[in-house]
This record gives sequence, structure tokens and C-alpha cells, in this order.
Amino acid sequence: MLEVRETRLPGVGTKFTMDTHRGESVCTVVHMDGVRELYHVTEDEDGEPSRIVLNDEEARQLGAILGGVIYRPQLVQDLEVALKDLVIEWIELPPTSPLVGLTVMTCRIRRTTGSTIVAILRGSGAMAMPHPDEVLRAGDVLVVIGRPEAFPQIRRMVAEGPPAE
Amino acid sequence: MFIGAGIIVGPGEPTFIHLVDPSEGTELLSRLGIVLLLFFLGLEFSVGRLTQARRMTLVGGGVDLAVAGGGAVLIALLLVGPGVEAVLLAGLVYISSSAVITRALFDFRRLADPETDMVLGTLLFEDLAIALFLGVAAALASGRAAGPVEIAGTALLALAFVAAFLLAARYAPRVVDRVADRLEREQLLLATLALAIGAAALAEAAGLSEAIGALLAGILISESEIRDDIEQQLIGLRDFAAGIFFFSFGLAVDLGRAGEVAGWLALGIPVAVLTKVAGGFVAGRLVGLTKRRSLNAGTALVARGEFTIILSKLAAGGVALDAAFREDVAIFAGVFVVATTAVGVLMMRESRRAGRVLFPSARPRDPSESRST
Repeated sequence: MLEVRETRLPGVGTKFTMDTHRGESVCTVVHMDGVRELYHVTEDEDGEPSRIVLNDEEARQLGAILGGVIYRPQLVQDLEVALKDLVIEWIELPPTSPLVGLTVMTCRIRRTTGSTIVAILRGSGAMAMPHPDEVLRAGDVLVVIGRPEAFPQIRRMVAEGPPAE
Repeated sequence: MFIGAGIIVGPGEPTFIHLVDPSEGTELLSRLGIVLLLFFLGLEFSVGRLTQARRMTLVGGGVDLAVAGGGAVLIALLLVGPGVEAVLLAGLVYISSSAVITRALFDFRRLADPETDMVLGTLLFEDLAIALFLGVAAALASGRAAGPVEIAGTALLALAFVAAFLLAARYAPRVVDRVADRLEREQLLLATLALAIGAAALAEAAGLSEAIGALLAGILISESEIRDDIEQQLIGLRDFAAGIFFFSFGLAVDLGRAGEVAGWLALGIPVAVLTKVAGGFVAGRLVGLTKRRSLNAGTALVARGEFTIILSKLAAGGVALDAAFREDVAIFAGVFVVATTAVGVLMMRESRRAGRVLFPSARPRDPSESRST
């Protein structure tokens, strides 16, 4: 499980440290006056750490981008009425996902969970209603429509691969 | 930086430009700066926050007190002999500057480093210790506490003051929050400022230092829900006031007269610098940091600042003290703060490089460790 360590920096603010899946470490210092610092911490003690200093507005904007809310809203609002109790989620395929290299059909998201991949966002383009033989690539963002309870299972499949036949 | 500006435009030697004389205006602002600095310090002392960083604070602060504090006492005894003067001198040599160091840690991109937790914890410890010390020192300097009985009395008064506020802090949040709910934002800020300044005035009237009053006012609302709000709203004002404080201090620094206290400086500065580095290094090793990081921590503790200045003002104005000492201590503190700040900041900048030279890596860097795609 993802662990975020919170440390109080007296007189400065609060520090949040998070280790990524690739063994790197991201450190966020939230200052009392709203300034945020982002540090990329490496194991190597010698190097000067790289840092980004953001003001409050920039930090919120970046947070929204990282959180994936930027390209969601208008689509979701439009579809909300039509969807009723269905949900659309954007799911990114990390390079480590076992689904990379499988096709839309062989990844068996539809057969296992009853949800449908309605689009694939790849690079700067998007593919609506992908062909069943379309091969999934690392970094693809799958736009999946389905019932809310299906998504935990889909995320598990992205991490662990399709269940055995 | 503010100190430098003050020196340049102030009346003292060397006379670069003489633009600004220390006046009631700068004096008032600098006192406001102190009150706000300490008020914010008080906000940090909530029980929850303290217990979070307890280990770093206690180990770092304890070792620092033993090594650097011990060194300061030695210097003071050597220079002025046992007596009230030595107590004050030791205090002002010992205390590092949270304001200068915190700023430098930000500038040098150190806030993410593990040793920084300990450095900031140590500063917290020092500030709390010196705030209590200030209460006693104010009484000593003014001569109201001459004999051992009076000294003990003042110390007790200071403790009673602190105890009363800590007790109040337990029950205050509910009251504070209830009051705060009814106030507009501007009113809330004004009320907070009034509380900080009022507590400072109260403490001064009670024969303690105004600094301790402001600190306690901060503690009083450190547990309340409005704390974060106040921190965000007033921090700009604090930074501004702290800048004025250092600036007005710079105005009063007279580098041309440094020669008069050359002996003090020659002994005081090297010992003060070395004991801080040594203390920080030892504490760093004790909490499990690497040698390089421990060195970073030690060098980060060198700079002196606001409390040294407060104590020197106190000593310079202390009617009960030796007249020659009062004059000397003001000059000494000025040059001492400028020198340790300059050396401290320079050492922080170079400490990574120094660490690489002093403690070379045991294993050569493995290029294949760099990330693979």
C-alpha cells in the first residue's frame, strides 16, 4: 500500500514524503504561507536535489492535473444523465501491467467485469470504440464504462493480469 | 541580508551611506518583529506537534545544549569571570538563529533532507530554552534580582507564568474557538495581534521579558482550530517585521569599533562555530544519520541571530551590570551575529562538498543503478 510519511517542520510547515513504485522519492513541503516545494530525492547524497517552488495557485493547478480531474469534468457532466448508475473511469496502463501486449478482447475486461472499453487515449490522440484486436500499449489510458462495483476488479486486473480461464 | 542593509545605511562605522538613524519608528517595528517571531514560535509548541518530533528535538537539542551550551559557558567564564555578566554572555553566544537558518535551509534546498528534521527540532528546543532563560535574564540585568533568593524568586515567577499559560492552553481552545466563530476575519487578526502584544506587555510588567509573553500567547492558541488560519494570515506580517528587526539591528552595528572587543571576538567566534558543528555532528550520528548528513546538520546550526540580539539589548540596557561590560557586549553581539551568520551560511553552502572530501564514499558509484527504461 502507498505510504505517505508526514513530518512537522517547526517554523516552516509540513513535509510529506512518498516513495514511488520505481524506488524514487517525492517530497512535498507545504509552507505555512501556502508556498509548496516539490523535491525529487535520490539515494545519491552527493547531488543537489532538484526542486520546484510553486505558489498556492500553481500548486492547486498541478494537483488537479496530477489527480486527473482536468480532462474529466465536461465529459462526465454531459454523460451523467444518460449514464444513470453507470460510471466512466480513466485507467492508465503502467509499463508493468500484464495487460500490456494483450488486445482489447484478450484482456477480457468485458467478459470478466461486464464493463466496456469505450476509448483508448494514446499519446496525443484518442481512439473511440477500439477494435477488439487493438493491442494495448504501455501508457495507454483506457476509458472504461461500467457499474461502480466493477472498477476495483478492473484495477486489480491492470495490476495482476486477467484471471485464468 | 537585512542586517547588511542596516549596516550600510546606518550611522555606524564604516560610514557607507548615512541614510537612516535608529529612531522610535524603527525601534517600535523591531519590537513588533520580536513579538511576532516569538508568537509564531509559541504556535509551534502544541502538544501534538511536539510529541511528533520528540526524538529529534530531545536528542538534537540535548547534545547541542551540552556541547555548544557548555562551550558558551566556558567562553563567558574566560572572558568576564563568574557573575551575572557571564550568564548573559553565555546565553547570547549559545543561541542559534531559527529565522536565519530556516531561511537558509529553504534557499539551499535542504528542507527535504532527513537531517533538516533534526536541525529544526534542535532550534525548537533552543528557542524554548532561551525563552525561559530570557525571563530570568531580564530580572538579572535590571538588578531586581541581586541575591540568590531573588534570582530563585524570579525563576519561580517565570515558571509560574509558563505553568499558568500551559494550564490555560488546555482549556483555552474551546473559549478561543467560540470567540473566533463570532468574529470577522479582520477582527480575528486584530484580536490575535492584540493578544500577542498584550501578553508581551503583561509579561514585561511582571518583570519578565516581553519575548516570553508573546511566546506564551502563541502557546495559548496553539491547540485551537484557528491556528492554521492565523499562521497563514499573519506569516507575511511576521516575515516583514522580522526583516525590520534585523534591519534596525544592522543600523546599530558599528563595525568600526570591533577592535575594542577583538579579544572577545577572537575567542568567541571560533569556539562558537566549532562547538555548534561538533554538537550537530554528534547529534546527527546519534539519531542514525550518515557522516555527511551529520556534517550538514552541524554547519546548519552555526548562524546566530534574533535571540543573541535580544539578549545583547537586554544586557546593554541592564542597569545592574558592569558599565564597561554593557558597552562591550553591544559591540560584541553586533559583530558576532554578523560573523557567525556569514560563516554559518557559507558553511551550509559548502558542507556538501566538504562532506564529499572528508567522508569519501566507501563504494564507487554504480552507473547501472541509474534508472532503466
